Amino acid sequence: MGTKKVLTGNYAAAEAAALCRPDLVAAYPITPQSSVVEHIAEMVNNGDLDAAMVQVESEHSAMSVVQGAAAGGGRVFTATSAQGLALMFEPYFRMSTLRLPMVMAIATREMTSPETVWSGQQDAISVRDAGWIQVFCESNQEIIDMVIQGYMIAEDQRVMIPVNVCYDGFYSSHLTEGIDLPTQEEVDQFLPPMAPDNHPVLDPNNPFALDPMTAGPLLMKYRKNHLEAMHRALDVIDEVDAKFAKAFGRSYGGAIEEYRCDDADIVLVTIGGMSGTGKDAVDIAREKGIKVGLIKLRFIRPFPAERIAKALSGKKAFCVIDRSVCFGWSQGPMYMETKAALADTDSKFCHFSAIGGLGGADISLQEMLDTIDYLEANKNEPGEKETRWFLKD
Amino acid sequence: MSYIDVLREAKDQVTPGMSACQGCGGELILRKALQIAGENTIIGIPPGCMAGAGVVGWNYANGLKIPVHIPLLDNSAAFFSGLSQMYQRKGRKDTNIVVLAGDGATADCGFQSLSAAAERGEKLLYICYDNEGYMNTGYQRSSTTTKGSRTSTTPIGSVVKGKTQQQKYVPLIIAMHNVEFCATASPSNMADFVAKVQKGLAASKNGFAYLHVFSPCPTGWGYAPDQGIEVARRAVKANMFPLWEMDRGEFKLNDENRKPITIAEFVKGIGKFKALSDEDIAAIQAMVDHRFEMLKRLAGK
Amino acid sequence: MERQHVTPIGNDGMYVLDTASWRILRPVMDKSKCVECGMCLAYCPVGAIIGSADKKYTITYDYCKGCGVCAAECPRKAIDMKPEGGEK
Repeated sequence: MGTKKVLTGNYAAAEAAALCRPDLVAAYPITPQSSVVEHIAEMVNNGDLDAAMVQVESEHSAMSVVQGAAAGGGRVFTATSAQGLALMFEPYFRMSTLRLPMVMAIATREMTSPETVWSGQQDAISVRDAGWIQVFCESNQEIIDMVIQGYMIAEDQRVMIPVNVCYDGFYSSHLTEGIDLPTQEEVDQFLPPMAPDNHPVLDPNNPFALDPMTAGPLLMKYRKNHLEAMHRALDVIDEVDAKFAKAFGRSYGGAIEEYRCDDADIVLVTIGGMSGTGKDAVDIAREKGIKVGLIKLRFIRPFPAERIAKALSGKKAFCVIDRSVCFGWSQGPMYMETKAALADTDSKFCHFSAIGGLGGADISLQEMLDTIDYLEANKNEPGEKETRWFLKD
Repeated sequence: MSYIDVLREAKDQVTPGMSACQGCGGELILRKALQIAGENTIIGIPPGCMAGAGVVGWNYANGLKIPVHIPLLDNSAAFFSGLSQMYQRKGRKDTNIVVLAGDGATADCGFQSLSAAAERGEKLLYICYDNEGYMNTGYQRSSTTTKGSRTSTTPIGSVVKGKTQQQKYVPLIIAMHNVEFCATASPSNMADFVAKVQKGLAASKNGFAYLHVFSPCPTGWGYAPDQGIEVARRAVKANMFPLWEMDRGEFKLNDENRKPITIAEFVKGIGKFKALSDEDIAAIQAMVDHRFEMLKRLAGK
Repeated sequence: MERQHVTPIGNDGMYVLDTASWRILRPVMDKSKCVECGMCLAYCPVGAIIGSADKKYTITYDYCKGCGVCAAECPRKAIDMKPEGGEK
């Protein structure tokens, strides 16, 4: 057993990263991520963490420094949010397409404009096609556990793709929860040091060109490999979840979590911290006799299409609640992708997109309950209903 | 060992056939710098002429005999900070970590990460080959392009003739970052160049080292390919490109240049300057004189 | 797993262009004028001039692009640029 502690999501991410014994951390402050970097700097300066800490001048350089260190054989970590993620997009895309493993925490935040610093998942969602694995966390415990699992998934030879551990800015990053912090010995036993030959390392003893100019036909092979590795990651995610459960006694169900879905007619599909509210709403509605369940999207890259299709098979209605938007569709992005996952099923669902919680707005229990009521009332009328906005007036 | 002995004996680390233009200053700088650095070196060459000329490899073939990576145009100093940090951590402090970047990757979009790496004192040698423009993409202007120059984005028009601004003087800005070693060099002054690459490599074991090298470009600038060294020599003699070094804070002019030639003499025969007006020449001369006086004062002269 | 984006040096040889085919003018050294100062070697951008331990300098033509820098910089004018005759 680890140590019982009360930590914010950011401290949870920092503590977990430290337990993974990174060689180098480079980061730049940005709300709501800053206390991740602050806490890691504190650990390094107090001698509690033996890692190089590089205080860079931008997120672009944060990702570039960790990329260089990874190309030098290091296990690396960084964290960011919103505008910082947007600024680092160039080396961010390159990190995954170089197939260098690492973990980066994203304390998700709404994208400007309008000017905002508050919660929302538009940042991480907007870069979901940049080749990274992305997992969204509901609790601070899950943040810790996914940072640790993230390195194991990223460094797996069948995968070799960096991992984003995303959690809601402020709601998770700044609010405290009781957690079980694994001990160093436990983590050391679970996560071995990265093998020296895990990936090619720039070294005069073994000279090579890393990423030479590459022509289209070869580039397409690299892309195809990357996509295949993404697909393989789905199995690795389940394996690591099982392995983690054995070592620490906590399982999250792999790429998605199903909550009271077995006999459900209608299903809420959620992502991130709103899932807790969603589960409460499900419990309350169940007491009223509504057969409702919840699917929590955990990994969205790779997108667990088969598992979602299976979990929704036989259901009558579902609603996907997004904390971000899909421009050009007037719907939420996870709703779009859930629909795509159902393209080959015969079922005729009643379904719709719900969008809420942008720019730090709350997604309330009442909004969840109202959505369940609406689903229940319309569950026998197949087809897409209008997008539901959780506006406050 | 004289510098000629060094260059004669040291192995060339670059493919014998790369697609740099005839008489390219950048190719000369790359080959000589890597001869001096030797096999225990990792180099970063961001997008630009040298990367485009094939030395970062093509598909499964290689352009260098040492490890090389083409970083992004704007993150060379940051990427190689991370790599250098790993080499310090692994206890392999003798490995040379070198960046060779053009002026676009150095003075323009890479400037932020360069400044930050210099400020942090990252242990690497950053060499800028300054050909005063984005030559690899067809000679667009950069912030180091000399005033009045004809480039493809500052053409000689009927109203505006060439670049309207003076060049940004990057080496002195970097020197003000409290770096271990900062210097300018010109391929025309090869003994000085060799010595500065050697000093820069040694200094990079203790902190950030920066070398700003004049890199004449026959194709972009419009002069005969055999004239590159002469153009570089004239640039030094006209104080267009003064040679100095700052070694752990000690500023030194390598050549006091007591009998400078004029800017009018420097620009002769160089196509990019063909539309310079007398006012332009006077403005460049004034900038150059002022800058050289400032450098002399820094050197305590 | 197949390695991505990595080109081991030597496996598929070097990226080598036949830059000699660019040459229109060919540098020819008059050894009787050469004083073995090594300037040609110092300034050749291609590294096409080699020097032996006893400081004899030789122009090689496999990759010489014919830029003429060696001829322009030779202090003794010992190198002439002559029209290329097609010989390798």
